Amino acid sequence: MTAVEDAIVLKNGSKTFQEDAENPVYVLENINLTIKKGEFYILLGPSGCGKSTLLNIFAGFLDLSDGDLQIITSNKTNRNSCGFVFQSADSALFPWLTVEENISFGLKMKKMPLEERREIAEYYIKLTGLTGHGKKFPDNLSGGMKQRVQLARVLANEPEILLMDEPFGALDAMTRRSMQKELIRIWRETNKTVIFVTHDIQEAILLGQRIGIMSIGPSSKITSSYEINLPYPRDITSIEFNKYYRQVQAHFEDINLQIEER
Amino acid sequence: MTVVKEVKIENKILRQKKKGKSKLSLILNTGILGWFLIFSVWSVVSYFSDPLFLPSPLATLKGAIEIASDGSLFIYMGYSFARVFAGWTLGLLIAVPTGLLLGTNPFVRSLLAPIVNFVRFIPPLAFITLFMLWFGIGEQSKVFLIVYATFFVITINTFTGVLSISKDKLRSAQIIGATKFQTLIYVIIPATIPYIFTGAKLAMGSSFMAIIGAEMVAAKEGIGFMIWNARLYFKTEWIFVGLVVLGLMGFLMDRLFTYLGKKLLSRYKVVS
Repeated sequence: MTAVEDAIVLKNGSKTFQEDAENPVYVLENINLTIKKGEFYILLGPSGCGKSTLLNIFAGFLDLSDGDLQIITSNKTNRNSCGFVFQSADSALFPWLTVEENISFGLKMKKMPLEERREIAEYYIKLTGLTGHGKKFPDNLSGGMKQRVQLARVLANEPEILLMDEPFGALDAMTRRSMQKELIRIWRETNKTVIFVTHDIQEAILLGQRIGIMSIGPSSKITSSYEINLPYPRDITSIEFNKYYRQVQAHFEDINLQIEER
Repeated sequence: MTVVKEVKIENKILRQKKKGKSKLSLILNTGILGWFLIFSVWSVVSYFSDPLFLPSPLATLKGAIEIASDGSLFIYMGYSFARVFAGWTLGLLIAVPTGLLLGTNPFVRSLLAPIVNFVRFIPPLAFITLFMLWFGIGEQSKVFLIVYATFFVITINTFTGVLSISKDKLRSAQIIGATKFQTLIYVIIPATIPYIFTGAKLAMGSSFMAIIGAEMVAAKEGIGFMIWNARLYFKTEWIFVGLVVLGLMGFLMDRLFTYLGKKLLSRYKVVS
């Protein structure tokens, strides 16, 4: 077995929001995390636990207050090799551009000629199941379709690491289920490293190879980690799936008890 | 059987009602009824009044023909329009970059925003005398007055537009690797266009306000001059001609601008 390379290494990562210099408020405290190349990693936790903050740090949108972050990619240590899928497609997509123009936006910024851009956009339109919608504007698409556009826009830049911030949180249950399936298919086809933030236990077990559970802030930490050894595609009604579900669920109930006792 | 028939008949009646309603709303949408109402009230009231005090619509029309016959009405309209257009265009050209700068640069914003918020409450008319002193009594002072009148509305709209761009859009551009300049050109400006458009539309109104004031105080031509001059000849109907012409000019300019905006900027979702 060959050693799998690391994609992200975070050592003693802390993030504070300075209200005053002497009493910094810790959002994240002393987080150690290593994510392997090609891994599907889930950050699971309740709202406000700082999991999005951590993702924003990986993306380079926020800086660490303390600690060391390494993003390792094949060509260079460069934060542009991350792609970011936001929770709300409405606020992330450019409504004045068509689906195709949205998808090829990054390529345009890299000054790629139009013909090449179109070709690549067409490929990702197909991959994400948007065939026939390329000339439409995002406002004329459903929520699930818009999220596909966002995913395609990110993939078109060929990032090695895909950062996803509750991307299916705003979708209805049925659309969410089909998007989850598609994501797994795309992940297995493209072999990307995925870091996926969610507060939905079922979604976490359905998608992830490894789940990191974050405690409620302030001073959030990754308190425990679960390996999900189930083959893809996973069946949410299977006994094995529910074993994991019960385990993670119990973990959260323990946390809730702790909070009540506090 | 009978039940089905009844339902069918009911549906028919409903459809006819809908049809009738849509015809009425069509007429209402043209605004003809409103105009008809105003003209009738105006006619009736003016019938019982001194034409010097309130000239009738007919007298106003006669007055319009009188001023138009030697072409002076059109010359005045041309003057007023040219001043508004020049000042408004120049104002737009200065205000949009200023608004973008205020919106994108926190330093400039904290430096200039308080000043902007102070000066914008000084109405253009308060500056007429000063502008004449500084820029002379010619066209310059009038055009600059309109630049002043348009500047703040457009600047503040542009800058509000920049500030209301969602963080996710800017971050999307950032992580894709867009430079600051690319982000400005391909994200910030397109996202701000609806705000700039609304600002430009609102500024048209303030331009007209400013130009009429300026022409009343210091001009030998223009609609403002015509209105002010009418008092010397006891020509109240000329004042009414001036009012109607102003309304018409503003209305047409606004319509043309909205039409062009919808044609050329439809993908940016400008609101009319």
